[in-house]
Amino acid sequence: MKGKALQREIKSALADPQLQAALGKFCRTFPDARARVYEGRDFPALREEIAAIKRRAAQDLEQLVEDFVRCVTARGARVFRAATAEDARAYILNLARARGIRTIVKAKSMATEEIYLNAYLAAHGLDVVETDLGERILQLSGANPSHMVMPAIHLTKERVAEIFSRETGEQVPAEIPVLVKVARRLLREKFLAAGMGISGANIAVAATGTIVIVSNEGNVRLTTTLPPIHVVVVGLEKLVPRLEDVAPILEALPRSATAQPITSYVTMITGPTPAIDAQGRESLKELHIVLLDNGRTALRNDPLFREAWQCIRCASCLNVCPVFEKVGGHVFGHVYTGGIGLVLTAFLHGLANAEGIEGLCIGCGRCREFCPAGIDIPHLVLELRRRLVEERGLPWLEKILFERVMLNRSLFHTLIRAAAVAQRPYRGRDGLIRHLPLWFAGLTEGRALPAITDVPLRRRPGREGRPPGLHTRVALFAGCLVDFVYPEMGEAARKVLNALGVEVVFPLGQTCCGYPLRFAGAAGTAALMARQNVAVLEATDAAYVLTLCPTCAVALKHEYPALLAGDPAFAARARALAARVVDFSSFVLAYWTDSLTSTGGVAVTFHDSCHLRRSLGVYKEPRALLARAGYTVKEMATPDRCCGFGGNYAIKFPAISRSLLEDKIADVAGTGAAMVVADCPGCLLQLRSGLAGQNLRMAAKHTAELLAEGLSS
Amino acid sequence: MSDLYDLFHERATGAGAEVYRVAGCQEARERLTAILRELDARQVVAVRSPLLEVLDLDEVARHSAARVSYGDWRTTAVEADVGISELDFALAETGTLVQDATDIGKRLVSMLPPVHIALVRAETILPSLRQMMGYWTQKEAVPGYIAFITGPSRTADIERVLTIGVHGPGRLIVLCVDGGEGNR
Repeated sequence: MKGKALQREIKSALADPQLQAALGKFCRTFPDARARVYEGRDFPALREEIAAIKRRAAQDLEQLVEDFVRCVTARGARVFRAATAEDARAYILNLARARGIRTIVKAKSMATEEIYLNAYLAAHGLDVVETDLGERILQLSGANPSHMVMPAIHLTKERVAEIFSRETGEQVPAEIPVLVKVARRLLREKFLAAGMGISGANIAVAATGTIVIVSNEGNVRLTTTLPPIHVVVVGLEKLVPRLEDVAPILEALPRSATAQPITSYVTMITGPTPAIDAQGRESLKELHIVLLDNGRTALRNDPLFREAWQCIRCASCLNVCPVFEKVGGHVFGHVYTGGIGLVLTAFLHGLANAEGIEGLCIGCGRCREFCPAGIDIPHLVLELRRRLVEERGLPWLEKILFERVMLNRSLFHTLIRAAAVAQRPYRGRDGLIRHLPLWFAGLTEGRALPAITDVPLRRRPGREGRPPGLHTRVALFAGCLVDFVYPEMGEAARKVLNALGVEVVFPLGQTCCGYPLRFAGAAGTAALMARQNVAVLEATDAAYVLTLCPTCAVALKHEYPALLAGDPAFAARARALAARVVDFSSFVLAYWTDSLTSTGGVAVTFHDSCHLRRSLGVYKEPRALLARAGYTVKEMATPDRCCGFGGNYAIKFPAISRSLLEDKIADVAGTGAAMVVADCPGCLLQLRSGLAGQNLRMAAKHTAELLAEGLSS
Repeated sequence: MSDLYDLFHERATGAGAEVYRVAGCQEARERLTAILRELDARQVVAVRSPLLEVLDLDEVARHSAARVSYGDWRTTAVEADVGISELDFALAETGTLVQDATDIGKRLVSMLPPVHIALVRAETILPSLRQMMGYWTQKEAVPGYIAFITGPSRTADIERVLTIGVHGPGRLIVLCVDGGEGNR
């Protein structure tokens, strides 16, 4: 899904009150519930334990498959290795036909969703019954799951009552306990009648041939016990070497998925077990295990994406994703949903199915903090974009903008100046743009955008300064927003730094950090811009390169060394530059003098920018700085939740960006603080536009601005 | 042992189970009788095991209106009001019961009836899942079907509202038995 269809789906998801209420409530309460259930545990250690198990499993995959097949075959099971979805489906259909099966009960399984098993078997005349309550509701309503763990999270009890009433021909009231009883009664009949049970697996143990399945409802136990034939569809990535490896995964899976210490049932099946047929005769069950590849080997063989092999399918990356909270899995996903879903989709369903929705990741990095398998999901999404661009090329407008304009610094800066002139008719007296014509109108809906400044920082004398009693020298890397939209932030920083005895120089050859290009997948062009900036910045004799924008800092510090790693002429130079890069608050805290203390310190609230907090690990420093400067910091509800800016993201997905902004403004306003402070011009653009759009009189300032005001007072 | 029991009690109760500690078989019989009366259980289905033998379930049943059957699970377990079985281990940290449930009867009596009464010896309580998996790892062969049960059957699939008793029992009653009679 991409383009207009995607925008349409986003719009309808945002306008769906049920979806918004359900996801909002769940996603807002999940982090605390999860924290409680992990209390007293060493999460980083558990994460590393799981990552190591899964890395080893990927490494030794062929051996694991061989061991698993040998062990489980020795116990009497039959194993079928399915290279493709079609192979898996055909095997199961043939088996059902050979045994004369009519009714099949199914436990919830993403692997069977992945291969569209139900539709296939139904098309061949079989009655396939989903027995997980959520899945059954969806099956009866003809919809797809919207979440890997909570498939029907988007449906109301009223809707479920309608579906069940139609199914039973009775009037079923919209009361949840009654609905659950009806489901129990209807499905019990199916369990007793079914000739075959199909399940997935959460873990498969190579050394013993054991299949581990978790469930809360008990349908897995019935599916694997009552019918005389049990078919397990297992993705190859579920294999772990030893039985000991089960415990760490089981410790993390339910805690990270639904904030439960353990699911109601955990079932460990090793080979066929006794079953009783409808006539009451006891005999050994037939156990068939379908080992599913369907693109997994390609994932495993990819040096970069192999990291995704570590995934244990807990879906906590969905639960904490601000974008998922807004649009849900029907928009943000293709069978597999959310951040990790993008990577799985690309390999299991083809890159084309990830195209478009891959843009939905805003790159806030929150999922990375929560992932119990230690997967850097946002990084993998960036790599996915890079591959898409390499394979398909950029859209024409971005191609011209990135390659023809942004690579040419003087042309880029001339065009920005031209835009400053062109915007004049739309600029209000407060310097904000509230309405734009035609297709840009969406950008100003419910918010006000800042105008491009008449005199950029690079042309202002206040950009540089040499104080008496010199301690050290920093080169200011302004970034586009500070240079062309908020030059006053640069001047404020210069004042504060000078007051600390720090000289500020401004290398004029600096250009855009290139992060927006990297974000869009144009890694090659971003690398060209990286080389320009490395050359310009290393030519200064400043001890530090200081930024007011954490995204620029991430570009200079993390992205440049990675982008230029393969270039012998630049690799070492990029690393040397990276070591000199520092963000404003960390630097000022280190060089603090009491001259910065303000007497009129009011209550402020601090917004954590995603790149500052999660990529640079800086969140204590600005708070400490504000406290030292005499301000009281009042924390907002979720200070580290993305404000929805994300650079090009706000332009690409304005409705999502706006919705995230509304939440942020509500959190900010809820503190009762006099002002919101952030260390990022991008976040400040977003926050100011939201405050102005809602006519709130609260100020939003960069820490540099606040400290500079203290100086002059 | 008492610390382990306390933790087990807290966690199992937290997961929605009803947990009773009984000192010895006589007290177990009395508690069981009271429970069956309270449930007004008519049809009880049970699996024979060492602890059940010692308790003499048939004697217990005579003091309530219940009729106990063993076997013919496919019919009896579907119709029964209550299933009774002995579980092999309990895990304190998660309030979990664990059982080698390769025997189909053991599985069906704990799956199909609306109430499951689980008997477990207090001395079998282990600290956590890790110790349990360590135990199975030491075994020469892994049993065909190991069941972990924590609280009653539950769902939150409709509007994220926790609801008890979907496909499995809506009530899980645990009798944790102290004392040495009938030790294996």
